[in-house]
Amino acid sequence: MRYYETLYIVNPTLENEALDTTMGEIGTELEKTKSKLINHRVWGKKRLAYQIDKQKYGSYILLQFEGGEQDKMNEFDTWMKLNNTVLRHMTVALDDKPEIYVEDVKEEPASEESVKAITTETGEMSSTEETQTETQVSEETDTESEPSEEETPVSNEEELEEKEAE
Amino acid sequence: MAFQNRKKFCYFKENGITDINYKDVKLLRRFVNDQGKIMPRRITGTSAKMHRKLVRAIKRSRSIALMPYVERGSE
Repeated sequence: MRYYETLYIVNPTLENEALDTTMGEIGTELEKTKSKLINHRVWGKKRLAYQIDKQKYGSYILLQFEGGEQDKMNEFDTWMKLNNTVLRHMTVALDDKPEIYVEDVKEEPASEESVKAITTETGEMSSTEETQTETQVSEETDTESEPSEEETPVSNEEELEEKEAE
Repeated sequence: MAFQNRKKFCYFKENGITDINYKDVKLLRRFVNDQGKIMPRRITGTSAKMHRKLVRAIKRSRSIALMPYVERGSE
């Protein structure tokens, strides 16, 4: 079975109760397609990149599920379009099964990203450390490296002057 | 000069990123100019494979209003 993810935007002025009811409605509508709901959570209130129905802000809600019947998925899509509380929605097929979101651990997809971020950071960190050590080494051997560095820009300047002369 | 020596590299290959999520706006912002246009591969140095994924992600995030279709440059 394929896994899908629907991200939809709801008017941010909705109160918590109204938000819960709309989320409930959408959940029940989705169940008609015999899809299995995995995650259904508020992603957060964000500023929209452009206005939709004269709204500058929107509450993003993320819905992840295991796909049900294809024909009924189209019905769900049109139902979402006709639903006036939903400003915009988009369904995307996922490559892997989404992890079940746990409230305490903040944002399960973010955790993956943060892991990646950490790895990249550590990679950068190690590289910077390496460069630091290199610089320390190079400081000792400054006398050798410096003149060569000075030579190159001078030659470039000469080239530039030649070009200007032309 | 610095221009000539600078080696272009694929940001994603360098950082070991294989999938680009359309929700990761912070990452996608790097590959868009201040008008909101997608930067060409010849400038960013992104590999062809990742550029295709990148473009898809940017277009997705545009359609859900996470990123702009057009943005006026700072005046």
